[in-house]
Amino acid sequence: MNILEIKNVTKKFGDFIAVDNMSLTVAEGEIFGFLGANGAGKSTTINMISGLLRPNAGEIKILGKDIGKHSHFAKRNIGIVPQDIAIYEDLTAYENVKFFAGLYGLRGSQLHERVEEALQFVGLSDKQKSYPKNFSGGMKRRLNIACAIAHRPKLIIMDEPTVGIDPQSRNYILASVKKLNEMGCTIIYTSHYMEEVEEICTRIAIIDHGKIIAEGTKEQLEAIITNTKDVWIGVKSMDNMDINKLKAISGVKAVQCEENMVKISSDIGVNNLNRIIQCLMNDGVEIRSLEEKSPNLETVFLTLTGRNLRD
Amino acid sequence: MRDLVWLIRHTLKRTFSNKRNILLYFGTPLIGIIISLLVYGGSTAKDLHVGMVNHDPHYITNDTIRFIKSIEHISVTNVKESEIDDKITSGKLDCVVIFHSGFSQSVQEGRPSHIQIVSIRGTEITGFIKSYLYHYIDNIAALGQIAKGDEHTFLEMYKRYQQAPFNMSVHSLQDTSKHKYMTYQTIGYLLMIMLLSAGNLAEIIIKEKENRTYFRLLSTPINAKQYVLSNVIVNMIVMTGQIIITLIMMDTVFHIKTNIPFWQMTTILMLFALVAIGVALMTVAFASSSASSGAMQNLLTVPTCMLAGCFWPVDIMPAFAQKMADFLPQRWALDTLLKLQQGHHFGSLYLNILILFAFALAFFLIAVYKFGRNHSVGNFL
Ligand SMILES: Nc1ncnc2c1ncn2[C@@H]1O[C@H](COP(=O)(O)OP(=O)(O)OP(=O)(O)O)[C@@H](O)[C@H]1O
Ligand SMILES: [Mg+2]
Repeated sequence: MNILEIKNVTKKFGDFIAVDNMSLTVAEGEIFGFLGANGAGKSTTINMISGLLRPNAGEIKILGKDIGKHSHFAKRNIGIVPQDIAIYEDLTAYENVKFFAGLYGLRGSQLHERVEEALQFVGLSDKQKSYPKNFSGGMKRRLNIACAIAHRPKLIIMDEPTVGIDPQSRNYILASVKKLNEMGCTIIYTSHYMEEVEEICTRIAIIDHGKIIAEGTKEQLEAIITNTKDVWIGVKSMDNMDINKLKAISGVKAVQCEENMVKISSDIGVNNLNRIIQCLMNDGVEIRSLEEKSPNLETVFLTLTGRNLRD
Repeated sequence: MRDLVWLIRHTLKRTFSNKRNILLYFGTPLIGIIISLLVYGGSTAKDLHVGMVNHDPHYITNDTIRFIKSIEHISVTNVKESEIDDKITSGKLDCVVIFHSGFSQSVQEGRPSHIQIVSIRGTEITGFIKSYLYHYIDNIAALGQIAKGDEHTFLEMYKRYQQAPFNMSVHSLQDTSKHKYMTYQTIGYLLMIMLLSAGNLAEIIIKEKENRTYFRLLSTPINAKQYVLSNVIVNMIVMTGQIIITLIMMDTVFHIKTNIPFWQMTTILMLFALVAIGVALMTVAFASSSASSGAMQNLLTVPTCMLAGCFWPVDIMPAFAQKMADFLPQRWALDTLLKLQQGHHFGSLYLNILILFAFALAFFLIAVYKFGRNHSVGNFL
């Protein structure tokens, strides 16, 4: 069964289209990765799923029910881990989780058990009586997660849960995501860290300018561009290099420059290496090295969006 | 509903786990009572300051002055005739008694004259002095009439009269006008505190937006309407507490008689509480941050309270200021209470009550309209 269905959803802020006729489905049991550069529209999409923003058009269903008509049902089945930490600094870790879990109708001993469970899950059991103002960034992030899972939602949406924290906390969080998934939760995971998404996600959507431009497993996404080959050319200096001339060469799909390396992605069937080298030499660019590389998710992203995930 | 109660309990607990807030919300309304006690002198009658000008140095005159000095709540000072105007207009003296030369002579002859009382406070002061003074002088004059001009007989009787134990009971008049002023002052101050408290409590909405918990709350089964409603209810609970505490303290501890039945007073004040919440929500809806809403509230509350006559009666203000005060809800709340004190029937004040309702409604509607247009959730996720 599909836990989430997004159909032709559009969100505008004034004239600006943040999410553009997006359609997407997430099946139960997946860890679904959401990849997109800054401002791609990830958070806007998540805000609409969680009911904070109303789409201008389209429909969103949770477990087959429209979230507009069954908002209570939808909200009970979702847990949101927001990008910006949303906790009370003047309440203890325990009180924070207890308050939010209580809003889902939990009371008494059941509430107490769920709160302890959630805190234990994120490794904050021994800090439950402490106030978040004394927490490290990683501990706050973990409490932020605990507040979203104590009511045992079927779908957990995490928006960059590992941003700006120490590697230890990050590993802890990644392990927790896998564990939650094994326990039966479906997870939507947003990150700027390609490695994280590659490591844990079962399916990935690449979103750019409010549109999903590719979707599938890591292998499927890489397959999209296996008809692309990358050539890395080391040069002495790029001063005389004309990127547009390179792009004009038949078969070339993308050109990326980094320090003294030029990366050129071209269609696999076209043999254009000679012309590329000729073009560079005509411009007086001195070639130092030349290497072909197989694609990875980063390449996929770059090929499809023409920009880097992180600015 | 259960979620709403959970949210209200949470907000109350968070607010009052800080002990300073208990003092802030329930201690400050009492300051109004204390101010009114200071201004209107509390429950003991205020001393009258009486000046004496003696142009008739004689034992009858001296004894008369001594008599006045013996009356409770009167303090006597000797003044020069030239100082009278100055001291009376500056309020240092409530009145001056002038004994012109010939006073003792006239009393002795049985026809008292050559005495003058100067005051600008009117009969309420001079009447009090006169009633004692003339009673005393009349008694002496009666001796003079009996003596029929015989100095020796007069002196004999006069001595005996002076030695007779003076049995004088002094009643301080129950001054109801003083209680009215004190009630006005206390309630005027309470209105300001209510406006400030409502502002503070509504500011929680902005603070929770700033610490992002508002957005997490909205992702739970709570919706935006319930969230604002919970804030209104918290506000109502706190202000009801303020009203009840103030009224009970006024009555039982400070013995200020409001002259208005408890439930009528409470009804009007609760109505004003709604107005205060409306104003607070409106500021919150327009403010861009908790700092700016705090500044807006202070800027709105204190000057309008001054203009509306929360701290002094509106009649002492210039006419244009009084006209402006008519556009302020505080003015209407106080006006209603004044009319109730004057004995107007509660039902006959429906216009006042309607106007207060209209204020509350208008503020709520503006707030709701503005809230509805604040779609921005910023970068919550
Ligand atoms: N309330 C709003 N009003 C106007 N524009 C908005 C609003 N919220 C988001 N936007 C715009 O919509 C676009 C998408 O923003 P969104 O927050 O969804 O991006 P994102 O993919 O989450 O980016 P990031 O990785 O930086 O979190 C951005 O250009 C942003 O400026
Ligand atoms: Mg985002």
